[in-house]
Amino acid sequence: MPMGHTATAETGSGGLTATEHRLSNGLRVVLSEDHLTPVAAVCLWYDVGSRHEVKGRTGLAHLFEHLMFQGSQQVHGNGHFELVQGAGGSLNGTTSFERTNYFETMPAHQLELALWLEADRMGSLLSALDEESMENQRDVVKNERRQRYDNVPYGTAFEKLTALSYPEGHPYHHTPIGSMADLDAATLEDARHFFRTYYAPNNAVLSVVGDIDPEQTFAWVEKYFGSIPSHDGKQPPRDGSLPERIGKELREVVEEEVPARALMAAYRLPEDGTRACDAADLALTVLGSGESSRLYNRLVRRDRTAVTAGFGLLRLAGAPSLGWLDVKTSGEVEVPVIEAAVDEELARFAAEGPTPEEMERAQAQLEREWLDRLGTVAGRADELCRFAVLFGDPQLALTAVQRVLDITADEVREVAEARLRPDNRAVLVYEPVTPEDADDEASEEAAK
Amino acid sequence: MTEAATMEFHPQPQAGTAKPWAFPAPERGALPNGLTVLRCDRPGQQLVAVEVHLDAPLDAEPQGLDGVATIMARAFNEGTDKHSAEEFAAELDRCGATLDAHADHAGVRVSLEVPVSRLPKALGLLADALRAPAFADSEVERLVRNRLDEIPHESANPARRAAKELSRQLFPASSRMSRPRQGTEETVKAIDSAAVRAFYEKHIRPAAATAVVVGDLSGTDLDAVLADTLGAWTGGAAEPRPVPAVTADDRGRVVIVDRPGAVQTQLLIGRVGPDRHDRVWAAQVLGTYCLGGTLTSRLDRVLREEKGYTYGVRAFSQVLRSSADGTGAAMLAISGSVDTPNTGPALEDLWKVLRTLAAEGLTDPERDVAVQNLVGVAPLKFETAVAVAGTLADQVEQNLPDDFQARLYRQLAETGTVEATAAVVNAFPDDRLVTVLVGDAAQIEEPVKALGIGEVSVVTG
Repeated sequence: MPMGHTATAETGSGGLTATEHRLSNGLRVVLSEDHLTPVAAVCLWYDVGSRHEVKGRTGLAHLFEHLMFQGSQQVHGNGHFELVQGAGGSLNGTTSFERTNYFETMPAHQLELALWLEADRMGSLLSALDEESMENQRDVVKNERRQRYDNVPYGTAFEKLTALSYPEGHPYHHTPIGSMADLDAATLEDARHFFRTYYAPNNAVLSVVGDIDPEQTFAWVEKYFGSIPSHDGKQPPRDGSLPERIGKELREVVEEEVPARALMAAYRLPEDGTRACDAADLALTVLGSGESSRLYNRLVRRDRTAVTAGFGLLRLAGAPSLGWLDVKTSGEVEVPVIEAAVDEELARFAAEGPTPEEMERAQAQLEREWLDRLGTVAGRADELCRFAVLFGDPQLALTAVQRVLDITADEVREVAEARLRPDNRAVLVYEPVTPEDADDEASEEAAK
Repeated sequence: MTEAATMEFHPQPQAGTAKPWAFPAPERGALPNGLTVLRCDRPGQQLVAVEVHLDAPLDAEPQGLDGVATIMARAFNEGTDKHSAEEFAAELDRCGATLDAHADHAGVRVSLEVPVSRLPKALGLLADALRAPAFADSEVERLVRNRLDEIPHESANPARRAAKELSRQLFPASSRMSRPRQGTEETVKAIDSAAVRAFYEKHIRPAAATAVVVGDLSGTDLDAVLADTLGAWTGGAAEPRPVPAVTADDRGRVVIVDRPGAVQTQLLIGRVGPDRHDRVWAAQVLGTYCLGGTLTSRLDRVLREEKGYTYGVRAFSQVLRSSADGTGAAMLAISGSVDTPNTGPALEDLWKVLRTLAAEGLTDPERDVAVQNLVGVAPLKFETAVAVAGTLADQVEQNLPDDFQARLYRQLAETGTVEATAAVVNAFPDDRLVTVLVGDAAQIEEPVKALGIGEVSVVTG
């Protein structure tokens, strides 16, 4: 293998291995063989997300992701989609706070096509990018925003809680979808500038996983990506670090036409990539994941005050992670009743920590989630890129589950005590209003 | 900076040699208690998927108790003769397992996923749930209340609301298909543990069930595990269950579900067509893909990639109920959402796409790309155990042979442009579609009336 170091399977990796390489233009390449099914996944992470956006241009990273499917020097119009699908592949791209990813899963004999396509747009997108596709995709993205956020009950809760959790001016204060006003304001020149700044081989990691010949694959990667010039226009992202604790509860009450009252909250948690973050994952699993969790047992089974109750973890590497509480109330139950029960359960957990049975269950659940993620070539390719981009070492993906299994009950209790407390959360309360109320408010708003 | 930075361009590469892949053939057998078992070894798939089909269709629910099959399905997770509801949930989580169940027109489906190392334990829990569910009064009461709490959430969701309205429009009121699968507020309120147990006792038995087990089974003595778990379930013989014919009223018309102030209109445009037993199925799959299977299909080419009216519109078919004698049916539909001001123009374009398709047909290149995609993606689509198990269980539920999917791929490859055109034009005739729009009637009613795609009525709620 040229340049690669050959990895042997590490404990807890489930026998998976990966090799790492770097082209002279700085593109990092991760290869992982698996011949069980004749498929190959190509995944490309660009180290750019909504945290790199500037004031007045929120949503640009995501809008730009759409433009990446609008053609490049040798690929016309929707050719990227057409060629991959016509080859029996599937594909997409997504944008988050910290990265933008593009991926194709191909029948193994069509792998070269996916590499050629990704290289073509990495190297030559701007030769095809025009006003027409910019205007069209601006409208598509605005409709995406309406469909996923604005036209569904509680649809903007994520955006509201994120804005509460990270202060004004913080790189994570806004979410990747961006605001309508900023989407309207984005120009073709903004998109060009974005590409020139961030879409460089030295700002990306490419992984190829599946039924591949690593030497042949690497030769193709060299052939197609090797001549793309590197460039260094990128500034480091703004610092996302914040104090461990918020120090006081932040709160917003939303009066909207929603079907039921809701209590949502975001707790400030340790950054991804730390033991404390894995411990927090276990704490949230014990407290609020699945039907044997403490909050489900308390609110849904025993008190019967909630229709759903759960915790999720949004892992972030460049800013504090968020522990996501979501409770929808049952019938006419009021939010303070729910809140008191949640606080009581969290305080008790912080004092006592998880039982051995709870630790066993939470670790088994997280182990299954990892098996699920690593069970497909596409999932594995994405995780290899994630650990390479965010933590500098793709091999960490293959041992992630072992790290979760190594966490002790004491560590789980400690992180809960330090972080899962009322003075370390942003709270969003939904109070339903009828359409008539909503109209009144709208007209008052208009009169101002 | 300039755009002078260039790369070395190479011609588009040619494909290598395709490796053979076939949809996995399951091994079919039966346990002494009458339970049918399909098994399929998938090396490397450490997460095992078990799908159980129970022949307890929604039309078996007693009059006035719509939703009892749903509550029963959910109650499988709420305790057995060995464990209370809380203990049962804890034991499942201890296996790292998920267990879900839902009721649909074709029957009840119970789905288990678990790492293979804990398969015996989890299969034991699944078997307990089917063999000796507790159906405790208090747990059923809680599930009923929970279900009642869910209904307003579903009504508030534009896509769910549209689906409910389309069923109500298409099917006669006497048909179970016209009413919500999980019941209405009125019928759910009437459900108690006695009703759940009665439904269970009448319909749930191993002889009227099939279990599909898929995953890396190389280190597991599945026969022994099955004998200890699902093999311990007992019950009487299965009775033949006639499937009522499906009739639907697809006179072209438009129903607006009024949502004052909505920024988008949810579209659901549908009718009823043949199921997988019909010879036209492969051609219909192919034609429907060309119409609206993906971003580069005809609908999105115009509505999304040219006009920007939508994030995406899809055409699809979804089997409702099937039987070997061919009396089954599938829902054929087009769905998506468009911004409120462009609702009229978007529908106008949508109809133009349908009419152009009927007038000019599909092109050969369009057909070729569709076949290459539908057939080519199979190895990707069926990489996981859960995907294989789901498809095998669907075949069982629809009374199809175990090699149906494998044969479908061969049929797709043999289907020509003319057949695909005929099938999709028959599936989506422009004057026989019921259009449900969940949106702001004050803004969309007039523009939609002007299109002449059928009588327009407005409902609320």
